[in-house]
Amino acid sequence: MLVSDFFDHLSGWRIIASPAALDAAPWPQGSQVVRISPDDVFLIGSEEPSVPGDPWAIVTPELGFSIATVHDLGALAEQHIEWALPTTRPSLAQGQIAGVPAKLVLLADGSTQLLVACAARHELQERLV
Amino acid sequence: MSRVVYDGTPIEYDEGDTLAIAAVRNGQHPARGGTLCLAGDCGNCVAIVDGTPWVRTCQTPARPGSVVRRHPSGAHPSPGGPEQHTAVAVRHRRAHHVVIGNGESGAAAAAAARAQGDTVLMLDAADGNEVVGVFDGPTIIVRTPSGIDQLHAHHITLATGAAEIHPVCPGNMLAGIYTPRAAAAAQAAGVDLGRIAVVGRNLVAIHGEVGVSAIELADGTVIECDTVVADLGSAPRDLLARMAPMVPVSVVGPAAAAHALPPCPQEGVVCPCGKITVEDLDGVWSKGFNELELVKRASLTGVGTCQGGVCMPHLRAFVAERSGSEPQPFTARPAARQLTLGEAAAGYHIDTFRRTPLHAEHVALGATLDKFGGWYRPWHYGDPVAEYWAVREAVSLGDVSTLGKMIVSGPDVVEALERLYPNHVHDIKVGRARYVINLTERGHILDDGMILRDADDRFTLTFTSGGASTAEMWVRDWVETWGLKVHVLDRTVSHGAINVTGPLAGELLRRAGVADEERPKFLQHRRLAVAGVPCHVMRLSFTGEASFELHHQIDRSVELWQALMHLGQPLGVRPHGLQALFGLRCEKGHILVGQDTELDTSPRRVNMDWAVKLDKPAFIGREALVRTARLPDERRLFGFTMEGPAPLEGSVIRPVGGAADDVIGHVTSSWNSPLFGHAVLMGWQKRAPHADVVEIDGREAHVSPVPFYDPEGARARL
Repeated sequence: MLVSDFFDHLSGWRIIASPAALDAAPWPQGSQVVRISPDDVFLIGSEEPSVPGDPWAIVTPELGFSIATVHDLGALAEQHIEWALPTTRPSLAQGQIAGVPAKLVLLADGSTQLLVACAARHELQERLV
Repeated sequence: MSRVVYDGTPIEYDEGDTLAIAAVRNGQHPARGGTLCLAGDCGNCVAIVDGTPWVRTCQTPARPGSVVRRHPSGAHPSPGGPEQHTAVAVRHRRAHHVVIGNGESGAAAAAAARAQGDTVLMLDAADGNEVVGVFDGPTIIVRTPSGIDQLHAHHITLATGAAEIHPVCPGNMLAGIYTPRAAAAAQAAGVDLGRIAVVGRNLVAIHGEVGVSAIELADGTVIECDTVVADLGSAPRDLLARMAPMVPVSVVGPAAAAHALPPCPQEGVVCPCGKITVEDLDGVWSKGFNELELVKRASLTGVGTCQGGVCMPHLRAFVAERSGSEPQPFTARPAARQLTLGEAAAGYHIDTFRRTPLHAEHVALGATLDKFGGWYRPWHYGDPVAEYWAVREAVSLGDVSTLGKMIVSGPDVVEALERLYPNHVHDIKVGRARYVINLTERGHILDDGMILRDADDRFTLTFTSGGASTAEMWVRDWVETWGLKVHVLDRTVSHGAINVTGPLAGELLRRAGVADEERPKFLQHRRLAVAGVPCHVMRLSFTGEASFELHHQIDRSVELWQALMHLGQPLGVRPHGLQALFGLRCEKGHILVGQDTELDTSPRRVNMDWAVKLDKPAFIGREALVRTARLPDERRLFGFTMEGPAPLEGSVIRPVGGAADDVIGHVTSSWNSPLFGHAVLMGWQKRAPHADVVEIDGREAHVSPVPFYDPEGARARL
């Protein structure tokens, strides 16, 4: 099995702000920070965060993603990913997996999370079977 | 010994035999004739193997029970194949250095690369790894016994060697002709080739009925034999190198060596794949196709199974003799090996079709789902007319989660939106909303939606379901181009949306806990709890009735939907699908961008100048609209009514009594209105003077002002 057969609904916050403000933001303890782009953070499992450095920051609940655990990253990449994976951890990789837009969070402990929009979760699950 | 079935007859084979060797061991030609190379270079051994046509039997190991049928004589096999119930597996593999061909030169290249510290992957057809194509990337597509490999490499070395040249002369499609290496391979396998005649470039003809009985040499000598071994030299196997000229491919060994062309062919079959003769080539040459690529295209020489592997040297010699100069080989294109459709499709997916958070609810309600705008959406729930009446007379729910939704915020957000949209933005008050269209720089309608002001420096934008996928890119691209400080967050897949619509919509909201005084008025929006679910409630109308779009986090969608369905039971609530929705909005004359508009539709053409404020100093498309406003433009979208069944969308609009080819437009939207009892439709008239009466489907249709329904818009404000 490449990934866990159950995708959990992911709960967190989405923060859009200036890169400098995100770099300096005091993220709540215990939260997982996924930096999607320089101005975009997905904060998993957290209280509502604040971004003091940017009064126009968009901070909103994010419940649009599902998460699964990747059991065999090598096999997943070999069978379903055309692009090259990052060679260092921790890191975030984004692109199509089995033709579905998705994200891979490569954690420092060697584990890997698969994030996909809830709307496309079924399609990805079917394609990974 | 094991057996395979060849043309219906069981034949025995030895361990290690290919299907081609098994055939010749049993006195058969694996196809129906022609020189055998037994190296995969030609198409003279292709057959139908276990239902798959065009299989090179010289590259296919014989296995117990394999069923082989030769292609029909003089015809191509049907393109069928074995039924495949599972997708062909694909593997994405990476290597720094890929060496294709594991002969002497390939092994040397691999050793040299490894000595430099490269990881090396070697591929050879003899090992079951047939390279099908080399693409930019570089990416190498390989057919393997277990599926298709997509190899991503930094460097590619081609060590594919050289292919032996086949004879072209009268009788060269008989059975019993071998290249030297093929004859050696057959003999090594213990095949009895009978009386063998080894011959070189002095061969002028091969005699026989089905198989070879004799050869004739240039000096007139005739030699009786069962097998001809034609030793005519070789030509580089460089098909893959010629396939991707922009890819860093190194060619080494015999594949890179200079080889002399054979003598110009005088008679016989040049292209065994297409059975194209020297006479055929002369025919196209005489018609003026006097370059190698032209001869190829006109005669189809080189486009068959072997992709020029056999015919290229002879074709080049043919052109060289007639033109006086030696032409370069023609362009090579994938695939270098025949693929099944399943293999060609391996690893490729159709578009992703998303599901709304209410997908299971729709299925449970018996909805017929359709793929629309990249989503699975309910087309109807079994009775679209009843769904229509629920909207017009009671209350109905529609799943509009697919709408594009975006939050924009920043110190420059008003300036950015003023430039993005042709409507005024600065005067939208907090808590109010405005319908807007988006234009291209040419002033053509790109999409439409709403602007809703959340705060002085923050807005919510909506887009059509079809336009949502490109909306973020469109906004970001312009904002960054202008250097404005605006944050952008797409919420399309994170927020669900339910449209509560109908004259009893307000009553349903009241029952869901929204006090009358809290309900937003038309074109207002407010954040409220509906049935306990936090919602951004937007008071809009696409159906023509009072409508409240309830935008919310998708984890609460099912809870909200079920609560509204339950609370609405006494009011006659039922869900409506797209079929009813499209009819409802057609009665209101609301356009569907992409259906009622064309790629070059300006606001003027759809009578929406009111949505454009040319008094604004700048917005996307303004310059084009100012310029084209001075030009005559006869194309207009009209509303029509007609008796009888509604015509199909796309139906031709003609002048009354016009000729069959006298077309003035087409129908873009069409609906049998249950309320009016006749058809209402929209469509184009593309020339002036515009007619008041036109002909559609052989019937008269009358131009009618739109909206057809509630032109004052009173019902949306109930």
